[in-house]
Amino acid sequence: MNKKMLKKAAVLVMAFAAMVAAENLTGRDVVQKVHDRPDGDTRSSELSMTLVNKAGSKRERKITSFAMDVGKDTKQIMFFRYPNDVKGTGFLTVDYDDINKDDDKWLYLPAMKKTRRISGKSSKTDYFMGSDFTYDDVGQRNIDEDTHTLVREEKVDGVDCWVIESVPKKGDEIFSKKISWIRKDCLIAAKVEYYDKLGKLHRFLKVEKVVQVDGFWAIGLMTMENVQTNHKTILEFSDLKFNIPLDAKTFTVPRLERGL
Amino acid sequence: MIRWIWFFAGILAVAAAAQESPFQFNGFVDTYHAVQTEWPHDLMSSRTRLRTEMRVDYDNAYLFASLNAMHNSVLEDRTGVQLQEAYFNYQNDVVEIRAGRQIVVWGVADGLRVTDLISPVDYTEFMSSDYDDLRMAVDGFRVKYPGERVNAEIVYVPAPRYFQMPLEEENPWRPDMPENAILDFPDGPDTRFKNGDFGTRLSFFLSNVDFSVSALHAHNQSPVTVAGYDFEKDSIVIYGIHEPMTMIGGDMSMPLGEFVIRAEVAEYFSDALGYANSLDYARKNTFNALGGVDWYAGDNWTLMVQYLHKYIADYSHELAAEKNSSEMTFRISKELLNNTLKLSLYGMFDIDNLAYYGRASGDYALTDQVTLSAGYDHFGGKRGQLAKYKKNREIWAKAKYYF
Repeated sequence: MNKKMLKKAAVLVMAFAAMVAAENLTGRDVVQKVHDRPDGDTRSSELSMTLVNKAGSKRERKITSFAMDVGKDTKQIMFFRYPNDVKGTGFLTVDYDDINKDDDKWLYLPAMKKTRRISGKSSKTDYFMGSDFTYDDVGQRNIDEDTHTLVREEKVDGVDCWVIESVPKKGDEIFSKKISWIRKDCLIAAKVEYYDKLGKLHRFLKVEKVVQVDGFWAIGLMTMENVQTNHKTILEFSDLKFNIPLDAKTFTVPRLERGL
Repeated sequence: MIRWIWFFAGILAVAAAAQESPFQFNGFVDTYHAVQTEWPHDLMSSRTRLRTEMRVDYDNAYLFASLNAMHNSVLEDRTGVQLQEAYFNYQNDVVEIRAGRQIVVWGVADGLRVTDLISPVDYTEFMSSDYDDLRMAVDGFRVKYPGERVNAEIVYVPAPRYFQMPLEEENPWRPDMPENAILDFPDGPDTRFKNGDFGTRLSFFLSNVDFSVSALHAHNQSPVTVAGYDFEKDSIVIYGIHEPMTMIGGDMSMPLGEFVIRAEVAEYFSDALGYANSLDYARKNTFNALGGVDWYAGDNWTLMVQYLHKYIADYSHELAAEKNSSEMTFRISKELLNNTLKLSLYGMFDIDNLAYYGRASGDYALTDQVTLSAGYDHFGGKRGQLAKYKKNREIWAKAKYYF
């Protein structure tokens, strides 16, 4: 009897501790959880990017991407497959976890037969290939570049989410704040609102499809809309693979020049 | 005309079929036309071209070929089919071998040449072509070690090629020459082992800096012109002189915040240099250095500036060139409308002759396949070839369709 009582008490204490821990969860803790979401040591995918302008006309980009974690840093190599004017273009990056270290970036231009070393700092805020995603959006933004606040919890399409407000610490970003709805079940954003320097809604991201491949959660389809220009970009990931055999030689300038 | 249409239709049909096969087939059709802004408003360039590129992969190897089929209504000699590149490539983890007609690009400079001396430049229509058309392929062998941080390569070109210069009488870009002079400009040296270009380059790709060291035995690809007289033909002859030379140099590229610093240096041993009186030439050692800054200013702005300096050792006052000579280039570009519109301004300054060339251009991606471009080329200054091109100020338009 005493043993049963003791067991119940232990369960209650653990549940209470978990509740306290949950209540003490900060915005940074949630973003850290998102950052730490298991995604394998290596991964690859096919990206299809559809750009839709205000008039409804469409442009398309197709990319093959490979990535590998090296400690806390991430190496990524992308090859552009379509349209044909950029076919063969390659982009190699090393994203450093250290906030004080700029990323390394190389761009291979097949028409020039040349690899260019490019700035790892400024291009983060530029838009990627004419899309509504910045290089920061498609890469890994360092957690401590923003101050994160857990605003509230609410459901999005019936899924429990944390609502996080993130404000950049430096003034040279293209957004003044962003609000993210982070799904508790898979630690992926359900939607994100980006506000401009005047505090007006600028871009809106909606994650429309989340998939689970080999036990890893990943985005399958998402749309970023610039609500001020009515231009939007639909990004679809396919052929997602995790923990595939990739070595350091995949992420080199010679490989960039060699292409797919 | 109908034959051309059938030809294009056939190519496009093959391209469509190739989408489903293991072969890669793509290319483009472009048409470029430029008109002199001054009277008599002559056509400076007028050409339409089909470029086809084919690649066949098999395991670690592939075959690549690109062909240009061109119709040039100003330079009729240029009308026809030309093999741009055709090579065999094999690679594994430790070696990459490429044999055949290929473009070899060294260095980090943008449009200027310090260590990048293997593939020559086609100046037949000055700089009105795309950069990959300006560069001429060479028939050679390249063996490369593709390391993770270190890249080593050896290049041998048994039959080097020289610059193509605008020499045809009907070419509006032809420099001033004596009337009825015979021009004797070779395309390259005789094919002998000792006449081949051979070089090596060792490149490092590190976190904070990329750098290379290189050595090359080659020829001065840009001709030194020397005048003579042919008594049999009773005519002045202008000879294009190309002599063997050796280059030892290096380059580096270093990101620094929003900037990338670029530099190239090279010593040319026995560089052929013409005399001011055009009657002879000398071979001197020269030191060549280039410094450049790229500024990735954000919001799709890019600014680039370069400075090139040449110093002639053991200088003789008979030489046409100054002991120290220099030139500068800059490029400013801005992309708009979700990168569908690119506005650019390019400038080249011949500092010693106080002469310049500037190009303002706009490129608009109408669709994923079609790009429309237009621009204006301006020449001016006191002396030198760029100043003489004042009469060649032009407006131009171009359309390009990718398939």
